[in-house]
Amino acid sequence: MHPNERLPPLPRSWWLKHRYFIAYMVREATVLPLLFFAVCLLAGLIALLRGEASWMNWLAFMGSAPVLLLNGLALAASLYHAWTFFQLFPRVMPLRIAGRPLPHQAVVAAQWAGVAVVTLISLWLFMGGAR
Amino acid sequence: MSTKSIRIKRYLPEQAEEAFWQRYEVPVDDSTSLLDALNHVKEELDSSLSYRWSCRMAICGSCGVMVNGIPKLGCKTFLRDYPDEVRIEPLAHFPVRRDLMVDMEIFLEHLAAVKPWLIDEASNAAEPNRQTPAQLARYKQFANCINCGLCYSACPQFGLNPEFLGPAAIALAHRYNLDSRDHGKAQRMPELNRHEGVWSCTFVGFCSEVCPKHVDPAAAVNQGKVESAKHTLIALFRG
Repeated sequence: MHPNERLPPLPRSWWLKHRYFIAYMVREATVLPLLFFAVCLLAGLIALLRGEASWMNWLAFMGSAPVLLLNGLALAASLYHAWTFFQLFPRVMPLRIAGRPLPHQAVVAAQWAGVAVVTLISLWLFMGGAR
Repeated sequence: MSTKSIRIKRYLPEQAEEAFWQRYEVPVDDSTSLLDALNHVKEELDSSLSYRWSCRMAICGSCGVMVNGIPKLGCKTFLRDYPDEVRIEPLAHFPVRRDLMVDMEIFLEHLAAVKPWLIDEASNAAEPNRQTPAQLARYKQFANCINCGLCYSACPQFGLNPEFLGPAAIALAHRYNLDSRDHGKAQRMPELNRHEGVWSCTFVGFCSEVCPKHVDPAAAVNQGKVESAKHTLIALFRG
């Protein structure tokens, strides 16, 4: 028998012991509101296929207070997840230009710049700029 | 010089089955390390206390303990930074043998499994291995590991499944894989590709927070995932 097999298993509450672990679990839990948002989008696509009445119902559903609240939470969760992901990215994929390592802050800043660009393009598209 | 009260988790298997807490009063000033305090207990108060130490300068990696639940090197931890209580326990996720001494056998097994040495069957031992500063810079950070095991005590995935190779072993595998003098990557990848290899890591990242040598094992493990994915894809296309 290996010595470690005699160790008691970690309690389910292991992640409550340190704020670092709690932050990790929050990061992982961001998937829950995002899952809700993804299901909403899928329902929207189905509603679109079904016809106008179904689509108007979906629009009303998306505009209701609890759904707005949950999707607001999903937006906050995705921004928090992005914040953690952008910081981890340069450590996982250290980039080099002409043999010199790129500073981590530059990679993080470039990713946020990417978010800003995508947001601006989306706003322009969906606010009727493309019409 | 004032005194400070520290609590140590004792485990004396020939006296009691259960571990118990014991309090000691130790003299402290601004330069008193936790290891100094343990040495004071051993020499002046209670010679039955068992713990490991050697270099007292964060090089040997022997004096790892949990301080208020966080893995630390005793020699690199100063009591001046703990105005309140100080609880000292053996490193988490390892079986305790006696007092603050743990059995690190499984860590040593994981370490040996990834062959953390230069593998170059074609090399002529009489010839020096040349390496440029740029080639050295690619792995140098990961070569600073002192095998203290703090990262294993910080890692909940290792705590949940001790078969996980763990941060230090994977960091050292990655260190040799990145070394221009090494040609052993093909031998190490099967270990890293396993579920208990790099893929058990969920990037909690606490291993890198507690590392006393700033090795950033979490980065090494997750760079290892990129390598593992590449290795698997290439093997798939080769058939």
